[in-house]
Amino acid sequence: MDKGCDRLLVSRRTVLKAAGTMGAGMMLDKNATNWLTAVRSEAPGEKLIPTFCAMCGPSLGCGIYAYVKDGRFTRIEGMQESPVNGGRLCAKAHAAPQWVYSPQRLKYPLRRVGKKGEGKFERVSWNQALGVIADKLKEQKQKYGAESLAILSPARRSYSEFLYRFLMAHGSPNYGHSGICAMQKAFSFTYTLGAAPVPDIPNTRLLLIWGKQPVYSGSTRGNLKQILDAKDGGTNIICIKPTMEPDVAVSDTWIPIRPGTDAALALAMLNVIIHEKLYDSQFVAQWTYGFEKLEKHIVKYTPNWAEPITGIPADQIIELARTYAKTKPACIDHGNGLEHTSSSNSAVRAIAILMAITGNLDKSGGDIFPGGSGMPVPKSVHLRERYTQEWVDKLVGPEFPKAFQPGAEGTSSAYYRIFDSVLTGKPYPVRTIIAPGTQPSVSTRGVKNVLEALKKLDFYVVVDVMHTAEMNYADVVVPVATMYETDHPFEFSGNWIMARNKVIEPLGNYKSDYEFWIDLGVRMGYRKDFWNGSITECMNDQLKPLNLTMEELRAKPTGIVFQPKPMEYGKYSKIFSRVSTRFSKAPYLPQGKVAIYNTTFEENGYEPLPVWVEPPESATGTPELLKKYPLSFSDFHTSKVYNAGWLRNVPYLREVLPYPTLQIHPEAAKERGVADGDWVSVESPYGQMNIKAQVNPGIRPDTVMALHGWWQGCEALKLPGFSLLEKGANTNSMYSVDYAKAFDPVVTAMSSQTLVQVRKA
Amino acid sequence: MEKPMGRQYGFYFDSDRCVQCHACEVACKSWNTLELGIRWRRVVDLWAGQFPKITNKTISLSCMHCAKPACVEICPAKAISKRSEDGIVVVDSSKCAGCRSCTAACPFHVPQYARTGTMQKCNFCLERLQQGKQPSCVATCPGEALRCGPLDVLIESSSTRKPAERLSGPTIPSLLISGRLKEADLLEILASKI
Repeated sequence: MDKGCDRLLVSRRTVLKAAGTMGAGMMLDKNATNWLTAVRSEAPGEKLIPTFCAMCGPSLGCGIYAYVKDGRFTRIEGMQESPVNGGRLCAKAHAAPQWVYSPQRLKYPLRRVGKKGEGKFERVSWNQALGVIADKLKEQKQKYGAESLAILSPARRSYSEFLYRFLMAHGSPNYGHSGICAMQKAFSFTYTLGAAPVPDIPNTRLLLIWGKQPVYSGSTRGNLKQILDAKDGGTNIICIKPTMEPDVAVSDTWIPIRPGTDAALALAMLNVIIHEKLYDSQFVAQWTYGFEKLEKHIVKYTPNWAEPITGIPADQIIELARTYAKTKPACIDHGNGLEHTSSSNSAVRAIAILMAITGNLDKSGGDIFPGGSGMPVPKSVHLRERYTQEWVDKLVGPEFPKAFQPGAEGTSSAYYRIFDSVLTGKPYPVRTIIAPGTQPSVSTRGVKNVLEALKKLDFYVVVDVMHTAEMNYADVVVPVATMYETDHPFEFSGNWIMARNKVIEPLGNYKSDYEFWIDLGVRMGYRKDFWNGSITECMNDQLKPLNLTMEELRAKPTGIVFQPKPMEYGKYSKIFSRVSTRFSKAPYLPQGKVAIYNTTFEENGYEPLPVWVEPPESATGTPELLKKYPLSFSDFHTSKVYNAGWLRNVPYLREVLPYPTLQIHPEAAKERGVADGDWVSVESPYGQMNIKAQVNPGIRPDTVMALHGWWQGCEALKLPGFSLLEKGANTNSMYSVDYAKAFDPVVTAMSSQTLVQVRKA
Repeated sequence: MEKPMGRQYGFYFDSDRCVQCHACEVACKSWNTLELGIRWRRVVDLWAGQFPKITNKTISLSCMHCAKPACVEICPAKAISKRSEDGIVVVDSSKCAGCRSCTAACPFHVPQYARTGTMQKCNFCLERLQQGKQPSCVATCPGEALRCGPLDVLIESSSTRKPAERLSGPTIPSLLISGRLKEADLLEILASKI
């Protein structure tokens, strides 16, 4: 045992350090293979398969070893050799076998035989299913044009580019993107700073965690460890968010902001910093454009103005602004929470300007533009070279204004607007929607409208591993393999590339998401664009820049780790002159400087300076509603054990969070005679939910919040599922879908704020 | 207990690095294929103060593998024993009669009962330990809040890193805690939550 204990105390850091010192292109395989062999011999009867976790994604997930016994996937261990997770894994990762073998798995393709919504299907073969889809798409392309097809995007996946490729080959620009998934933030940062910066946490003295949840989202991927190491090292940590989540619990200061008012706080901080001349005047003079216009503009956004909006005392705003401006270096770790509001673009732009004028941009310990990777980038399958202006003009409901498309990800229509087009026929009705790994009735706003649109829609295709919330409206259901049942694709990010390995044989009559698009492409007659139907050729083609085949990559069990490019700070002239993805190839920043005043926005009819925009309903925006709906409401987008609208059917995870809950302050609960664990009715001007009260002293007394994405039941625990509409637990049913108020005017971000009343159910 | 004791193994918990993600809890269930409803490890939190001056502390608790385990002493069937080589407390379910005397004796609400009615609890992932691996909970911890090993080594390493205190109490639990959670907080948690 003593021999064991010494090995036990070898920290993960040592292993990673060893990996990190290898040269570009050097393999970890030598050590890894020995390690693998050693463990294999210690555990007879059990096979270990190195691969990626797939409980979020598929994307470059965390490295895992999947254990297989008698052909059954049994348990999991973190891959220490992975530079992404270094052996760490979250709760979801460990529940993978229960997810793979869950009774809700789809086993074979289905074709609807009953009425829409009724749930009557007949079993068909993979080829029959593809034939039905291909015939419909060909017919519609001829009758209505290829743009009558929209494909909904889930969160970024490694198959996202396959959706684009199919759309490119078919001729439709309508990639439906949610409007609240990092791309909004990326857009606003890029059109202000030239790129989206990341916080240099290890070298900072002050860290602001703003609208971000580092524990529930990617806890194993390094960011959380950096935060905790910074905490141990004495860095001052300030968290800005409405509830006291676990990252707030370990921080030094909590700024309990009212949901959706980050723009107001950032504007008031700018007011203090500019008024008190706490900015870096040299950086401002040399590298920013329009500061003097901001000086005048910002006068009205005082801390006293922001106090009733944000719910943060003016004195605390002043102190926060001074602390941020005076502590050098300081960085802001920004999250997607900033996007979920009609002032999304302004919030992110104001925060970008804070980073810039305080002189914290691209400096050690500030917010930086990382140096990149020494890895040759695998070939994209997107077919970007085919974009034309006509293509952009055909977008059914642009996610970003047409003048800014194609964007970093490609062309995109706002997810909700695709459904709206079905109902209104404006500008034209989408006729077929394909939903691969995404559930519109729990992922976007206006649930009633979405369900109505699904009834009206000509043709709806669900491509998924599991029963989905609105699967009963589908004309064809295509089951696909989980990523534990397929040996592709390779995944890469940063400095690491690895082949995915198959853990078990598929449990049913299906192939992978990737093979679905390839097979459908071939059936449509787009054979040449789809590698003549060969997934192997597809993978090998993408790997050409690395001079590798998939099998050669697979021979290295833990993949290849490359060295990062050395970090250089102060790359202002390079970053500020980056060329945009638009057809004009005009730079993101026309003046080659930080666009405090944004002339590109001005030319296109948008606000050139960040401005405050009230959420559709709020205490300060619609005070007349407070009598009927006295509490601010918003939802959490991430959770420790679930992803979006998924995983509630997994028993080990559902045991941790068995019920949808309303986080409510003890005072607000007491006023309503509500006790912890009581079922409560939550009612907004648009919808209603019945969920359980969780009395939480760590939330603003004027605010209640709930986790989004509840609909699934859990058979093994005899826990119920929930209605998508009234008496359910669907936070999306609570919000406005008024285009004039509920969406950011530039980036179409969906507001996650409203007012509610809470009563005992 | 007659044999001379080897080095006592135990856990180290840094409450300033625990972020209540429950990865340890689920890693334990999955690795040990636990029945639903059974928890060998649990994450419990403690709130104090009034908005906005609130504190929230957390602990991840499992069997403490006490130096003087009350469960071993009380078990009439002698189903629970303390390993001489590493002090790990283990249960022989073939001997357990399911009388639940250990539940009454354990100050930490550790014993769990599966459908068979016999007691089960954390065994320090002995099978992993024998392969030179950390228990599943420790290996997975995203915040690196949990560590384990021989207590003397843990105490020595904590003296150069962060001060840690070994829990007191008549059973002498093999758990070191560090950070903002103190022993008094743990007693409060144990008094109110199971």
